[in-house]
Amino acid sequence: MLSFALRRTLQALAVLVAVSAAAFALFYAAPADPARAACGPRCDNGQVAAVRQSMGLDQPLLTQYTDYLAGVVTGRDIGDVDGSVIHCDAPCLGYSYRLHQPVTEALVDHLPVTFSLAAGALAVLLVLGLGTGFVSALRHGGRTDRLLSGFTLVGASVQIYFLGYVAQWALVYSTGLLPLPSYTPPAEDLAAWAGGMLLPWLVLGFVNSAVFARLSRSQLLETMNEEYVRTARGKGLGRLRAHLKYTSRGAAGPLVQLLGLETGALLGGAVITETVFGLNGVGRFTAEAVSGQDLPAVVGAVLLAACFVVLFVALADLVVAWLDPRIRLS
Amino acid sequence: MAVVETAAGPAPAVPAPAAPRPLGRLLRDRVGAAALAVVLLFLLLALAAPLIAALYGKNPAEHYGQNTPGLLSDGGLPVLPNGGISGDFWFGLEPGLGRDVLTQLLYGIRTSLLIAFASAAVTTTLGVLAGVAVGYLGGITDRLFGFLANVLLAFPTLLLLLALSPVVQSRLVDPGAAEPEWMQFLVLILVFSAFGWIPLALSLRATVRSLRERDFVQSARAQGAGRFHVVVHELLPNVRSQLLVHATMAVPTFVASEAVLSFLGVGITEPIPDWGRMISRGSEVFQADPTYMVFPGVALLLFVLAFNLLGDAVRDALDPRAGR
Repeated sequence: MLSFALRRTLQALAVLVAVSAAAFALFYAAPADPARAACGPRCDNGQVAAVRQSMGLDQPLLTQYTDYLAGVVTGRDIGDVDGSVIHCDAPCLGYSYRLHQPVTEALVDHLPVTFSLAAGALAVLLVLGLGTGFVSALRHGGRTDRLLSGFTLVGASVQIYFLGYVAQWALVYSTGLLPLPSYTPPAEDLAAWAGGMLLPWLVLGFVNSAVFARLSRSQLLETMNEEYVRTARGKGLGRLRAHLKYTSRGAAGPLVQLLGLETGALLGGAVITETVFGLNGVGRFTAEAVSGQDLPAVVGAVLLAACFVVLFVALADLVVAWLDPRIRLS
Repeated sequence: MAVVETAAGPAPAVPAPAAPRPLGRLLRDRVGAAALAVVLLFLLLALAAPLIAALYGKNPAEHYGQNTPGLLSDGGLPVLPNGGISGDFWFGLEPGLGRDVLTQLLYGIRTSLLIAFASAAVTTTLGVLAGVAVGYLGGITDRLFGFLANVLLAFPTLLLLLALSPVVQSRLVDPGAAEPEWMQFLVLILVFSAFGWIPLALSLRATVRSLRERDFVQSARAQGAGRFHVVVHELLPNVRSQLLVHATMAVPTFVASEAVLSFLGVGITEPIPDWGRMISRGSEVFQADPTYMVFPGVALLLFVLAFNLLGDAVRDALDPRAGR
């Protein structure tokens, strides 16, 4: 297990380095004029020249990249457009010339909202997805199964912004069943936090649960017919107990992997959900950075999101290896 | 007179119902047939949009509400209830500009489908080329590709699409210059194609890797078949159904992605009719005039749902073993 964990960690690190190189190439080397893209539409030519100097765009591409990486590891000094020099602490993901703030700092400010949203949505996703999948598999082929499959398919097809507005209209404005979505720090008022986040949790969790429900249904169906499960049933173990004890463990691998991917993706920011419900998280920050043409903020947000994905996919792989010895020993 | 059964008789006039062709299986599946009908209806509406608009006597560009007094209130909202639905404007009027919703919706299908079909065609082609080549060559190419795919898949799709569109646009359009309409389509197709081929390539790579060792490929090679022959005549026919399923599933994905980007304001811009942008505009006036958002929202849901159901049905029809 230890050697597997070590190998997997090294692999994740290699992917991370490559991810940073890819992001760098896409956003700092590809735009026609990165300095203008970084400075934003309101900068005059002098400010753009200052940004060009500060970003080191006159340096060779490789030097620019190694400087950027060094900034991530140790932090670095960056000159703002007005000539002042700001120290950007590690992990420095660049400096936003629009916000006059290191990108890392701005992202950290928006993380609590995104974390809250992701945690609740994941809980809804797990309960709904696993529940639907499990019941569908048990009632395979019956009316309940068809009904649930239809429900899931609608979840997979509905656009989150449409559902979000309709749900908000139905549950908040028309009936007042739920409070208007908003973020209150949980440390301040736990009830207000949960109440304000409930609708976003339900909507985001429901839409994301569709893929999970489909996968868990097919995984459970496949494992149910494995010989070891049939043996356990043949020896007299009750249906529910056999499935809970043997089937679910055998079926868990791909589900854990999907969950890892979903978690990583959600932590990177739920752009649409945050936009629809007016939650000021990382996703909305990124969308605003894109429309405000704030290149360093965009790159920082994309890199952070990619890091979450790599991290949670690797974690999921470790869990799967722990569950299934065939993987860690191969 | 009793029917005499002969062992060497001609084939029965009625073909055995056990093994109909995939299309027959698709049509026999009630849900699949309904989904196909809805998809075809949308296609027909898209193709016939100018004809329907001419018969109906409206176009998607004219600001009826502003040109004709009495249709919109001073606040820009339709005067008639339910978003201004009337005998003249069947689906109502757009708040503010006062354009006709029905023709906007019809022309919106064209925008959506053009981008989705083009992106699906490009990604499928790229995916096949990369997947089959890498799977067949194996070795170092295969490992490099695996790593590259890992890196590219680490980026969350939506964030990447969102962030990449302006970058691609800045490369293709000079700053300050007006962007031609077709360029907006091209930018989106390029952005979708840049990463959309990877999942197909990955799954084809795995299939080809296992096919490569099978007897029929080995024997073709033993008879002196070159790489080209093996790939085109031995491997490709065996991944055809996988391809078809992927292409069917890719279309609704791209339709949804295009709508999201336009909803967020980095996709198709005015005045080209677009569903995502209609929903975005509808969300601004949702409390005062919910009708305007319901039409594009429901249309998009129906469209994506029908395509997803069709994709499922195609998969079932092509592979009867994949149980439901």
